[in-house]
Amino acid sequence: MPAIIEVEGLTKSYGSKRGIANVSFSVDEGEVFGFLGPNGAGKTTTIRVLMALLHADSGTARIAGLDCWKQSLEIKRLIGYMPGEPALDPNLTGGQILEYFANLRGGVDQSYLKQLIQRFDLDTSRKFRQYSTGNKRKVVLIQAFMHRPRLLILDEPTSGLDPLNQQEFDHMVKEAREEGRTIFLSSHVLSEVEKTCNRVGIIRDGSLVRIGDVAEVKAIKRYEITITFSSAVPAETFKTLEGVTDVEALDHGHAVRLAMQGSADAVIKAAARYPVVSLTSYEPSLEDIFLRYYEGDGVAAKETSGVA
Amino acid sequence: MLLKSVFLKTLRDYRVAILGWGIGMGLVVVSPMASVSALVTTPQAREQLVSLAASFAWNADAIAVDTIGGYATFKIGIFIFLIVIWPLLAGSRMLRGEEDRGSMDVLLSLPRPRLRVAIEKLAAMWIALFAMGVLIGLLAFAGGKQFGADFGLGGGLLFGLNLALTCAVFGGLALLISQFTQERGPAAGWTAALLLIFIVLDMIHRVVSGTEWISRLSPIYYYNLSSKPLVPGHGADAGAMLVQLALAALLSGAAVWLFVRRDVGGTVPLPRWLRLPERRPSRALPVGDWSLRSVYARNLGTIAMPTLWWTLLIAGWAGWTAYVVQLMETRLSTLLSNSPAFSNLIKNLGGADASINAGFLSAMYIFLPLFLMAFAVTQVNRWSADEQDGRLDLVLAAQQPRLGVLLGRFAALATATVVIAVITLAVSAAASAAAGLSLNAGNLVAATLGMIPLGLLIAAIGYLASGWLRTAADTGLLSFVLAAWFFISFIGPELKLPDATLRLSAFYYYGTPLLHGLSTTSVVEVVAVTVLALGLGTLRFMRKDIAV
Repeated sequence: MPAIIEVEGLTKSYGSKRGIANVSFSVDEGEVFGFLGPNGAGKTTTIRVLMALLHADSGTARIAGLDCWKQSLEIKRLIGYMPGEPALDPNLTGGQILEYFANLRGGVDQSYLKQLIQRFDLDTSRKFRQYSTGNKRKVVLIQAFMHRPRLLILDEPTSGLDPLNQQEFDHMVKEAREEGRTIFLSSHVLSEVEKTCNRVGIIRDGSLVRIGDVAEVKAIKRYEITITFSSAVPAETFKTLEGVTDVEALDHGHAVRLAMQGSADAVIKAAARYPVVSLTSYEPSLEDIFLRYYEGDGVAAKETSGVA
Repeated sequence: MLLKSVFLKTLRDYRVAILGWGIGMGLVVVSPMASVSALVTTPQAREQLVSLAASFAWNADAIAVDTIGGYATFKIGIFIFLIVIWPLLAGSRMLRGEEDRGSMDVLLSLPRPRLRVAIEKLAAMWIALFAMGVLIGLLAFAGGKQFGADFGLGGGLLFGLNLALTCAVFGGLALLISQFTQERGPAAGWTAALLLIFIVLDMIHRVVSGTEWISRLSPIYYYNLSSKPLVPGHGADAGAMLVQLALAALLSGAAVWLFVRRDVGGTVPLPRWLRLPERRPSRALPVGDWSLRSVYARNLGTIAMPTLWWTLLIAGWAGWTAYVVQLMETRLSTLLSNSPAFSNLIKNLGGADASINAGFLSAMYIFLPLFLMAFAVTQVNRWSADEQDGRLDLVLAAQQPRLGVLLGRFAALATATVVIAVITLAVSAAASAAAGLSLNAGNLVAATLGMIPLGLLIAAIGYLASGWLRTAADTGLLSFVLAAWFFISFIGPELKLPDATLRLSAFYYYGTPLLHGLSTTSVVEVVAVTVLALGLGTLRFMRKDIAV
């Protein structure tokens, strides 16, 4: 598949504030590409450069072979865009907003638009200012999909959506993928990207630190399990088990906190030999994972070259 | 330090307004003081000034207008609605604005009673108004000293305090109304409408005898009762000030009482018969809505309501002056022939020295482009606010060229200015015909339609500046430019400013169209500068980072 997004050495700073530095990656047509990074990492800056809302200080960004800045109008005909913080005319109703953007796009398939409204169960008669955060995002999500764009650029699309609507979103992504459309979505939730995307780029502090198949994300995915026992259990029992990277004894041996990577099968089986009171699993934030994974050893810089 | 409490934080938010509005309104009080001595150089001129002011007595008390304090009091009485704008906006936004933004939820999540939050905010507004009143009073005193007035510091401060009390009444009214509206805009709009009604109610007893009891229903009546500390032989009316204080406390107290009891983000429930019909959820789309067809149409739809209000103001002003000028012809004639200063004043304002009616009307019509430019400034403010708040992102993402988005916006504004100008022309023609005033039709067309290029000029400059400045700075710059232009054209000739300086003002190019028509060269020059500013603004907008 040819690349639909090609970014090479993209740099953008806001005066003294950091933006992005020397970001390079490409996204193939038909892919669902996840752009992962903690808050403030540079995801939105990259996306706004792609959308020609920001002018890059250096580097190039091309979509479908067209320069993102110089040929932005042609590019926008191909794109459906959802910004991270949807700001729209607060005095228009959801219906008016969708109709307005449909007109600006030269008209859309009304039956498909109505279908989207139905799928997200959106009340179009309310003013934008009166919508809840989730409903505001639904309006913006529908306007991004309504003209069946070749490329969808979605900045944190599921943030604020309830689980039902997140599920609906997942279906729509799946459908778009099946239709051969490309999706570039940013997120700071590892499991969401893992679930939806084929490939992932990870950005941190304005630099791309890793890029590759979604399986590679699993390599950095960490989680924690805390097991409470009714009597003291030797922590050493868990130290050498597969998937365990760290063990901490708590409450005088009545509980253990395990740092995990990969399958928990061995841990569950080992714990089952003792009287278990409770077991909780916790997925740390991306920033926590990064802090551990890239703990000041410069690994990030070494891995930036990318495996695109 | 200023973030230690809700009270201090709110006061901190008001700090620019306290200085800006306080000094600005103080200068509004001082500016008429400068012209009094020049207006009354002969006994005849003095007599006619008094007589002319009496013609406006239906609008404001014309007491001792041949004195510095009396004249300033009279002028402020006419323009009281200007002074009340800030408290009206501040009151409508004080609680409702926070609810609109969602920040009230966070504020009320603190372990602090809702009553206390409201009272701290209210107290901050009152302190801000008091500080503004003090500034106005100090400036009035300084101005009086400068021009030889015979009122003291106490008089100045009492004058400022009275203004602050009137402002507190309307701030409280806006606050109360905002408890019944879902958004702050309608609260400000309803308060403004009530302000106009109260001004009219106050006028009634000046025009129709025996109707003072009606005027007593208006807070403006009590403002006028106690607005005379600058007038020799008069003072503040303590009773009227107390009535205003009580009214402000009552309105604000009622607002706070309702706020404490209602849902945050909701409104006080109205009686069933006053409620709008309940909205049913719908999935319909407004297919065929003309205002959603393009960026231009959308902007035209957005600008429609402000255009209506500004048309009422501008066309109303034009119609009213065209109607009353005929009724004042004799007094004006004597005043002009006996007071070179008044004659110069009228000339500086664009009245020249032709026929009395057309001359005076021409001087009054200089306010038309001023108002139209003020309207343009408010619209430019919306443009930069839209960009700053991220509302342009999706429009630009919807395959709309930046050039088209900017020009669509400008075209909508241009359409609105044309509509305002054409309606102003029609109203002026009708009013002059009704009053039996004979005006040159061509010149009337020039005077009304001639303001369009000036409106577009300030808009173009605003669009250009918004390429670099954020909303507040852009609006501030445009307001300054507008004030500077007016100052140059209004006071400049008296200060013998060189012609090159006078040419810096846009009003110079407007000239005296009601008397002499429009100069084609001037129009071309204004249009050229407008096109240049718009071109540069467009170039900048096409290259800049959006919402950074």
